[in-house]
Amino acid sequence: MINAFLVFNGQGQPRLTKFYTQLDTSIQQRLISEIFTLVSNRPPGSCNFLPLPPLLASASSSSPNSPDAPSLVTYRNYATLYFIIISTATESPLALIDLIQVYVEALDRLFENVCELDLIFNFETLHAALGEMVVGGAVIETGMERIVAGVRAQGTVAKRPVNEGKGGGLTGGLGAGLGMGGMVWHGR
Amino acid sequence: MCAGILPSRGSKSLYDLIRGLRNHKGNEKEYIQNCLKECRSEIRSQDMDLKATALLKLIYLEMVGHDMSWASFHVLEVMSSQKYHQKRVGYLGAVQSFRPDTDVLMMATNLLKKDVAASQPTIISLPIAALPHIATPSLAMSLLSDLLPRLSHSHAAIRKKTVVTLYRLALVYPEALRAAWPKIKERLMDGDEDSSVTAAIVNIVCELGWRRPHDFLPLAPRLFELLVDGGNNWMAIKLIKLFATLTPLEPRLVRKLLPPLTNLIRTTPAMSLLYECINGIIQGGILGDGEDFSAREEIATLCVSKLRGMVSLNSDPNLKYVALLAFNRIVVTHPFLVAQQEDVILECIDSEDITIRIKALDLVQGMVSSDNLVSIVSRLMRQLKMSSAALSQQRNGLEGQDLETGSSDEGADPRRRSKTQEQAPPLPDDYTIDVIGRVLRMCAQDNYASLVDFDWYIDVLTQLIRIAPASQQRDLGSDLTSSTPKTAIDISEKIGNEIRNVAVKVTAVRPAAVRAAELVVSRLFLETSLSRPVVSGALKPVAWVVGEYPFQLLSPDDTQRHLLDLSPRVENPEVLATCLQAILKLFAHVAGDDQALWTPERKAAVSLLMARVIRVLEPFASHPYLEVQERAVEFIELLKLTAEAAAGQAPCTDELHQDPPLLLTQAIPSLFTGWELHSVAAGAQYNVPMPDDLDLDEPIHHDLNSLLAQADSLMIPVPNEDEFEAYYNEKPTPTSISSEPALSRLPDAPEEPPSSYQQAGEESYLDPDIVARRKAERLERYRDDPFYIPEATRSSTPIHTILQKENGPDLDIDSIPIMQLDLGKLSLNSGRASPNKQPAQPKPQTRQRIVVAADETLAGTGTGTSGLSTPLRYDSETNNNPDAPTRARSAAAKKLKQQALLQFDSSHLGDLRLEGAAASGPRSGGGGGGGGDPLAHERQQREEAEMALALKEVQRLRLEMQRANERIQVAQGVPEGGKTAVGGMAEGGEGGGEEGEVVKGRKKKKKKAVVEGEGETEAEGAPVAKAKKKKVKRIVRLDEGDDAAA
Repeated sequence: MINAFLVFNGQGQPRLTKFYTQLDTSIQQRLISEIFTLVSNRPPGSCNFLPLPPLLASASSSSPNSPDAPSLVTYRNYATLYFIIISTATESPLALIDLIQVYVEALDRLFENVCELDLIFNFETLHAALGEMVVGGAVIETGMERIVAGVRAQGTVAKRPVNEGKGGGLTGGLGAGLGMGGMVWHGR
Repeated sequence: MCAGILPSRGSKSLYDLIRGLRNHKGNEKEYIQNCLKECRSEIRSQDMDLKATALLKLIYLEMVGHDMSWASFHVLEVMSSQKYHQKRVGYLGAVQSFRPDTDVLMMATNLLKKDVAASQPTIISLPIAALPHIATPSLAMSLLSDLLPRLSHSHAAIRKKTVVTLYRLALVYPEALRAAWPKIKERLMDGDEDSSVTAAIVNIVCELGWRRPHDFLPLAPRLFELLVDGGNNWMAIKLIKLFATLTPLEPRLVRKLLPPLTNLIRTTPAMSLLYECINGIIQGGILGDGEDFSAREEIATLCVSKLRGMVSLNSDPNLKYVALLAFNRIVVTHPFLVAQQEDVILECIDSEDITIRIKALDLVQGMVSSDNLVSIVSRLMRQLKMSSAALSQQRNGLEGQDLETGSSDEGADPRRRSKTQEQAPPLPDDYTIDVIGRVLRMCAQDNYASLVDFDWYIDVLTQLIRIAPASQQRDLGSDLTSSTPKTAIDISEKIGNEIRNVAVKVTAVRPAAVRAAELVVSRLFLETSLSRPVVSGALKPVAWVVGEYPFQLLSPDDTQRHLLDLSPRVENPEVLATCLQAILKLFAHVAGDDQALWTPERKAAVSLLMARVIRVLEPFASHPYLEVQERAVEFIELLKLTAEAAAGQAPCTDELHQDPPLLLTQAIPSLFTGWELHSVAAGAQYNVPMPDDLDLDEPIHHDLNSLLAQADSLMIPVPNEDEFEAYYNEKPTPTSISSEPALSRLPDAPEEPPSSYQQAGEESYLDPDIVARRKAERLERYRDDPFYIPEATRSSTPIHTILQKENGPDLDIDSIPIMQLDLGKLSLNSGRASPNKQPAQPKPQTRQRIVVAADETLAGTGTGTSGLSTPLRYDSETNNNPDAPTRARSAAAKKLKQQALLQFDSSHLGDLRLEGAAASGPRSGGGGGGGGDPLAHERQQREEAEMALALKEVQRLRLEMQRANERIQVAQGVPEGGKTAVGGMAEGGEGGGEEGEVVKGRKKKKKKAVVEGEGETEAEGAPVAKAKKKKVKRIVRLDEGDDAAA
């Protein structure tokens, strides 16, 4: 089972949080920051798996080896974004890496050349796309066509606001164009 | 989606909010607070668009960490909207913000029922996808009947979502599965079913499978069919995982599974599927035992060689990680298969990637033997040493950089720094602590069974103590008062405990252990400045060692002085108590020599010492911790008495022989000498047999009350010493702990000096002074040993390097002959597998037989207690220790009941019998149609409990809503509106049991309250409105600026 699906950027700002069990907002935030600390200190060439963050490690040590407890943190880094999946041991680690890939590709199809800005302003679509792939922590669909079709069936997917991305060319110029906080976005 | 983006009627859209957030870098907090305030009023609006937009903004802010639990009622309102895009926002709000204590959920039941029954698939999806997040037993119970028909909905997307949702409902309400299983099974068996629905069903069957594998054995043929021609990798992975739980129950499956699995392994292009095949083979117990040996041998060879390839150098780090995961599973059942991969696994310990390191460490711990212990520990020690060096270097470097900012080589500087960071990144503290714990555990395993060279171990411990506190010094500097990290203290205490254990258990190296303890004390004394408190937990066991074995100390006087200096700065009272005891023991040793003459010098020195000790002890006489206080008071009085005696005893002169005072030479030392202490097993006390004539129910005294009443006035006669003597010496034998130690001799341990099988010298991880001391000691010991070859000629054994070169990094994995399953040949094979233990050095001679005393215990009364004699147990070890004491296990079970973070609790499913349900056919929804009598009874009980719970919930809900409303009103400073709202809530709640009525009543009142509230804000809200306008204006201006810039 998948316990949580998270997206945050290189500064640790969440872009999507989905917890498949109910969790206090404050604990959610703590977990995100713990994972962010782990993920941002990875040496180059590391694997896509993280050691359990302290919050989860202490929880899982109280009930060792239960297949219900989260035991795997998988992450993938795309441009400025980190995609995280927290899962139990019944999920296949390598398949989860692919799952993130499928999700990102689906977003790419939906937004056409997706970038962080799309995710910031359309987080409802993020949820919709995830909802077509994972329900209640179980993966229900991995086929790109069906995912995209499922999201589109719910209504038109908004493009990024017109004055944000000039013609979709999302290179460094965009960050400079917005001129905010020295952030630079790169397209994938 | 559009609702969120497009601004409506002058209020902020989500888009505005996000842009605003980005424009307010620096004072985001204030901006967000304003936005929240706006949302609070907007969400009360009558306008559904405005309401939904406000909710969307709140959901966004919730993601960033701003609680929105207060808005749960409004979430419900938006959920009930007629428009799909608003409804969707509502459901998203529910998913993201509802928590176990969200009470409005009870009001949502009818809404959810309605939406599940809707005609549009997009609407049906909403409640189905939301239910897993918000389900409660009662909600599950009432929605079950609505969900079941959805399993045969015409849209595949609805069917598969329903399947998963039913599974999640079953987690909170197991009966749901009983009703749903026949239908789900029907779907699974249907060959024409949409493949993604089948995949979803397989997914949940896999989840159910590990909990109740028996129930799914009948499905095996169909599952097998799906595995062979499913063509879906995702589903295949799940199927293999499921089969891995089924094969132990049905061994015949193995023969059937082997061909397709082997085929998959050979042909699949998907690495994930390949890995899961191997994993499934391992977990399903397909490796190893069985009659069809050749086929199994073949597949075992295949699997292990593939895994070995994954772990080996230069491979994809992800594969490395998963292969280690697989090895971690194999090691449970087939340790010998993993042991053969020792060489590649050991390489992983030095990986840069901490995730891989930790997994490798998990493995290594199980592989420790006397042959490789030293090399494994050396690797870890080197890491720790380098990291602690890097840490201090980094700190110094940072400080240094501030000074040399103006220096000329600015360009070179950052590069250099980043380079050093690359070489040895400081390890995180918790990792360091973890590694130290593992080192200790590996060495102490099975009563030091794998440990050959205890001198080396003591050096390692000494070094570890130096490394461990370094990590906590920083915390010490930052905040003294609040939480000093407990784990850090624990770890250095654990290291100290090891020194103590070695000193107690291994008499042969006791002198070395005591000297190490002495060194630790003097270092603590030297390194902690006078003003700083001593926090190292190691002091406690170490102080005990120096106190208990003063004869082995190099300089008892100095050690005592150090302890005296340290004691006042010790914060932890338990440590302090031990220190006090040690001080007096040392005093008895230093001053209590009954052979030496009572010269004037001695008299002066002893008196001085006593005065000093008393001075140190005196402040503790009023210590709040009783143990400390008691010891201090006793010792002070004793010493004062002795000081009087010493003062009264005239010293020897040339003509008059004078003995030192008996109090000094006899009484005080006799307090501490007498019995040698042995280590006692943790549970030994439980094994003490109860004497037959002992009746615990018998009153101590038939007239206890009057005795107690008299106690104040009575002078209790002081028992004379003979009685004490008799009491201690004539203990009945059965209750005394047997003093005959059950000695376990180390099996013919190779007596080669340790440095020969280390890859690098100890110099790389031990501090120079430890090495120097070690060398000196060794020289001393072997001075007369004709077989001892001095260090210089021995350190460069050429064989070693040759072998390493041959088996080293440029080794072609495929060329390695693969292991054979024959256990008998293992010893031969493993010799080849590891380069570390190659040089078979001639055994010089039995240097000394190291005897490790076993823990003492009484003959075990039960098997459960046998595990108690393990020398050391850490709490975290219980999961690795197969025969952990039952007490720990029951504690763990207790903990298990408390839900771990993020954990799905499927424990309820364990009791559910699916076969019964399947046999009696599909049932009507709502958990209807009783099965057997016990089931009906069970259900009735549950329903009753639920009813009671529901009533309680309603009660609580009423109060909560009331309170929440009060809070909101207070926060907004609208007292009048608040009052009416509270009144409305209370009245609404009064409705009691019937849900529908509650909802209705509440809604009406709520509306009224909202209207009134609106009026309030309108009336007094002129300045607010103005401010809002201003903000909007500014944002617009900024937008324009952006446009211009872009």
